[in-house]
Amino acid sequence: MRKHQWLRTTLSRAYYCSFSSSFPLKHVTQSNFESAVADLKTHLKAADFVAIDLEMTGVASAPWRESLEFDRFDVKYLKVKDSAEKFAVVQFGVCPFRWDPLRLSFIAHPHNFYIFPRQEVPTDSSSCEFLCQTTSMDFLAKYHFDFNACIRQGVSYLSRWQEDEALRRLNLRYEDELSEQARDVPLFSITDILFSERMKNRLREWRDGLLKDTSGGSQLEGSFLNDSNQQFQNIFYKMRPALSLNGFTSHQRRLIQSVTKKHFKDLAFVRVEGESSCSQQLVVYTDSESDRDLLKKEVMDDYRRQAEMKIKAAIGFRHVIDLLSSEKKLIIGHNCFLDLAHVHSKFLGPLPLEAEEFVHSVNKCFPYIIDTKILLNTNNILKQRMNKSKTSLSSAFLSLCPQIAFASNESCNLTFSSSVKVEITSKKDFWGINVLMHLLGACFVFKSKFCSSKSQHKSSSWISGVKHEAGYDAFMTGCIFAQACNLLGIDFKLYSPSENLACNERLQKHANLLYLSWINGDIIDLSTGHRTAESLRCRDLKKWQTGILFENIVLIWGFPSDLKTAVIKDRISKVFGPTSVTSICRLDETAVFVQFSKSKLVADFLLVKETLDRSNDAFSVLHPLSTILEGGSTCAASYETYKDICSSPLSKVLFADQAQAVGIRWKTKLVERKEEIEIEEQDNFREENAANTISVYVEQN
Amino acid sequence: MVAVSPLLQRRLLSTGVTKTHHKPHQQWNIKQVKKSNFADTLEDIKSHVSNSDFVAVSLQNTGFYAAPWQRVSPFDTADTAYLKAKYAAERFQVLHFAVCPFTVRASKVTAYPYNFHLFPRAELKMEMPSYSFYCQTSSLISMARQGFDFNSCINDGISYLSREQESAAKIQIGNPILAKNVTESTSIHSIADSVFIERIKSHIKNWKKTCKETSTRKEDALVRSLRKLVLGNEEYDSRPCMNIDVCSERQAQLVVEMLQEFADDVVPLIIPAKGGATWAVRVVLTSSKEDKDLLQGKLQNDEQELLKKIRGFREVIDLISASQKPVVTHGSLNDLTFIHSKFIAPLPPTVDEFMCSLRLAFPLVIDVNNLMKEISPMRKVTNIPVAISQLKNRFFTPIDMEIPCQAMENEDTIHGQNVVKICELFAKLCSILKINPAAVQSDEEKQASALEAYANIFSPFCTASEEPINGDVKIWANNTRTVSCEDLVFLWGFGDRVTSGVLKGLLQESHEAFSKEFDVRLVDNSCAIVIFWRCGLSETFLNTMNKCSDMRGPLREMVSEGLRAAGYETYNRACRLGLWESRLADSLDRALADPDSASKADSKTKSSDICNEWIINLDDL
Repeated sequence: MRKHQWLRTTLSRAYYCSFSSSFPLKHVTQSNFESAVADLKTHLKAADFVAIDLEMTGVASAPWRESLEFDRFDVKYLKVKDSAEKFAVVQFGVCPFRWDPLRLSFIAHPHNFYIFPRQEVPTDSSSCEFLCQTTSMDFLAKYHFDFNACIRQGVSYLSRWQEDEALRRLNLRYEDELSEQARDVPLFSITDILFSERMKNRLREWRDGLLKDTSGGSQLEGSFLNDSNQQFQNIFYKMRPALSLNGFTSHQRRLIQSVTKKHFKDLAFVRVEGESSCSQQLVVYTDSESDRDLLKKEVMDDYRRQAEMKIKAAIGFRHVIDLLSSEKKLIIGHNCFLDLAHVHSKFLGPLPLEAEEFVHSVNKCFPYIIDTKILLNTNNILKQRMNKSKTSLSSAFLSLCPQIAFASNESCNLTFSSSVKVEITSKKDFWGINVLMHLLGACFVFKSKFCSSKSQHKSSSWISGVKHEAGYDAFMTGCIFAQACNLLGIDFKLYSPSENLACNERLQKHANLLYLSWINGDIIDLSTGHRTAESLRCRDLKKWQTGILFENIVLIWGFPSDLKTAVIKDRISKVFGPTSVTSICRLDETAVFVQFSKSKLVADFLLVKETLDRSNDAFSVLHPLSTILEGGSTCAASYETYKDICSSPLSKVLFADQAQAVGIRWKTKLVERKEEIEIEEQDNFREENAANTISVYVEQN
Repeated sequence: MVAVSPLLQRRLLSTGVTKTHHKPHQQWNIKQVKKSNFADTLEDIKSHVSNSDFVAVSLQNTGFYAAPWQRVSPFDTADTAYLKAKYAAERFQVLHFAVCPFTVRASKVTAYPYNFHLFPRAELKMEMPSYSFYCQTSSLISMARQGFDFNSCINDGISYLSREQESAAKIQIGNPILAKNVTESTSIHSIADSVFIERIKSHIKNWKKTCKETSTRKEDALVRSLRKLVLGNEEYDSRPCMNIDVCSERQAQLVVEMLQEFADDVVPLIIPAKGGATWAVRVVLTSSKEDKDLLQGKLQNDEQELLKKIRGFREVIDLISASQKPVVTHGSLNDLTFIHSKFIAPLPPTVDEFMCSLRLAFPLVIDVNNLMKEISPMRKVTNIPVAISQLKNRFFTPIDMEIPCQAMENEDTIHGQNVVKICELFAKLCSILKINPAAVQSDEEKQASALEAYANIFSPFCTASEEPINGDVKIWANNTRTVSCEDLVFLWGFGDRVTSGVLKGLLQESHEAFSKEFDVRLVDNSCAIVIFWRCGLSETFLNTMNKCSDMRGPLREMVSEGLRAAGYETYNRACRLGLWESRLADSLDRALADPDSASKADSKTKSSDICNEWIINLDDL
């Protein structure tokens, strides 16, 4: 470890001295997007796998929405869904890796895309704003994230769903516009009538002029262009003489349109989309009625084509996602469930309500995904290799990859045979990963994502002022994966490019598995939608053995905010017995989860609480629970209510406020003591201490 | 709009030329203030505020509205307009706050503009000032276009806490606070109190005695530290101290009062508990009078430093508020709701409470919009430069802007000019309206009240005087008409492809209520508002909508396809309950589904009292 430290400091110094400017990471903004995507396309096609990573403007929209131990799988999905819907992705790292049989190494092409939802095409209003978590923004700023580049230059995007929606709307408008031609503007005021009359005369004058002087057009210019306001201008439109209208109000234009339509069979009023987004109104002379209809159709089609092109142009960054999807390449991420949720909501369509549906939809788009976090935590060989060290991106990278460098640089024979070489291409030269990985190890010890756990924030804060980008993180993820494959005994020298890495027998059982919740070790299978709990994890043995039974949980909120968790536990234990509360977890200052030893106690607790709420006598004041009920706004319900509240799109900072905003007007939601026998059996099976419950409560009073 | 633009462009161009004449750069130097130079600037702005007559403010936020219908519209009453502004203020964030103290003397304006860059950084790790905030992409893009530097804002923006957050933070930090001297003795002591006091008094006497004894004794350092260990004596700032636990605020007060007897060398400190109450009184023994002053000075200093760090930018708000100078804004409802929610306290639920609370902080708020309305009542000022050029075309009011140079000359800032333009516009308007702005200072009652007539009006579409002005109807009749909220009906559920014209056509044939003059406008693509120009017809229509049996023909068909209708009260309720769905139709549906709507009859009578006549500007709809 000491050695690492030393290396880190010396190498980071080296990094700052010479390499910082020439690091071959490709930054992509609006200005170089087209060319970058063209490059990336060839790299992607050739790639064996592609690592991705995202930077977001935040993770949790409220403290109580952060990842908790008491998250049931469906609640966890709701939290991820809420996060992906509210926050924006500001950076997208894509790094294709290709095995080069000649160089006997992987070639990596790290790309760093700045993206920003620019609203180039009007879409649903939900996408015109996004949430920022203050700490996350602060964190990005600390790592010198370039917000200006992101907002001014970021590549915009449109999800598949948004594109369909925009096209559908365009079609509707097209139909409407065709039918609306028939609509008449009623003349209300004298001014309108006078104006219409004047316009009628003007237009007639112009048309008659045209018809009279088909041979010499110069005369007509003299008569018309001398208009004092330059409101009319003679031009040619689609090989026909036309008048362009300037300086009229929209109402006046409508009147002119109606005049044209009513009185001139051979004149057509058309709206043309100008080059600079402002539209131009024209009155065009046509030879016949059929010619006029032809012209109108032509204009409409032009208009439609332009709008369609605008929509196509607005797809922007989604082209990269479409490429990833159509190439069916193996995607590598690190703890990437949230990343995939973002990808789904930003580039595919709105997130479904259920995790299974989401997983199915992701699987359809990306059939092969391997999560390095899963790989490192579930594979026995790798677990041994990691030797219980942390599996966050940065520490995994440090512990897996620098060893390669040790072996070659210091000709130490430790793990020489087990290393795999990775090189990065830049335009000029190839970078040996042996140097590079160290540089990265020194500089990017921190994982891009803001893990909501606060401890992680703390532990990593010692490195600051280091650049930190999605492109690098994607690169690190890919390196970890390459090294992991190597450790698993996949020999790339024997590996043929046509073979799909994900179907390799050694990787297959880890493919398409993701951590739904890292804290609880809930794993979801993308291809089947099945959930499994991670079996062999001894991270927190004590808690793991106790387990969390969600039907045993009561949610209490709205109590006085200075009430300590220990006091709550103490008061409840006084009523329901010393062993009645197995664990207690604070959501925030206004809410708490209490896990009872039996689900029966949940119903009992709610009933007692409700009775106390209703009665107002001295007896209830002396009751131990009255401390919790003080203030009269304490509410309680079963775990299901937490799910309901999580599914709301609202996010108030305090849980009690959220519950109110969601529209909860009751104070206690009783649960029936259903299937008591079954639960009892379960309890017996678990050999829980099923002693004193109600009896204690009676004694106490 | 397109048609007008060349005209406007020409006008803008002409103003640009005249300005270049005055000022070679056409731009004013504005001091940019960030975290790094905030402390230095604070003294400057303090003196500038106290020497100026007015303070102009202008904010740039991360957004204005979450959905089209949630922006303040002409058909909003003061209540609903406030609720909309409140929602926006709670949702979005101020990133840029321009403050400009200025003085108007005849035709000369002396202004000291400052641009403060704000970011709600959690300096104290307490999820304050804000856990998260929304950004409207279009707002960010337009800020970027004006040259706003987001990197420096997020890296080096000044943080802040509101007054309410500050008191919460103080409690959470839990630093001991210097007890204030009790000037007045508290009321009669009960027996229990006297017993308590006597007990504490003797306790302190003994403690003091032992402290004095031990300190005079010449002792080895080791012995002294051993003694400390054995006796468990505590030290505060290397002075002996003792904690006296108290059970109530009253006891704490009694202890502090009693300690005045020992005022020569004992300093009482209050140790706050988590809930804000006093947990204990710490008594610190000082060696002499000088030492006592030293300790008190140090404590006060520490507290000030900490507070400065906590308050951050709010110092500026506090000093504007303390100066009681009139605040000049453009779009006061929007700006002041932001200021209130970010720097004072969470916004109260009703507009009246907001006004009361705000008046305590800023007694006089003048919106240039209200002055502008006096001159051209039809136009709402959306853009300050346009308003200035409009005035230039109609009136001859040369204003000489003087900005004593205070910024780095080479600093190129395109953004943040707005606040100076507000000053200019204000001066112009005052000179046109023959209001002497200098009078605000000189206490000339007549003149001062002239300005006050335009002050503290927060409903953006209301005129200066509260009642509809009868005398002015002639000029305004062309396109403004007033209508009562009672005569408005919201319609939704007609699909999202219908234009207002088509809808009007459909309605005309559907019900006899539409046989008289009425208008239809779309609020957003899900909902329309119907204006019945003849009173009473709205009620007839709503009654029909509620009774299935009365419906006939096309109306019945439309209702069966999902058409719904509700009066203004439902809209009001949707805003009041905070049902801010992205489509107004959804909000109204939820408002109707709310259990409170059962008591419809009561609220209806109430609402007719609240809703004054208001002006509807058809151009704005």
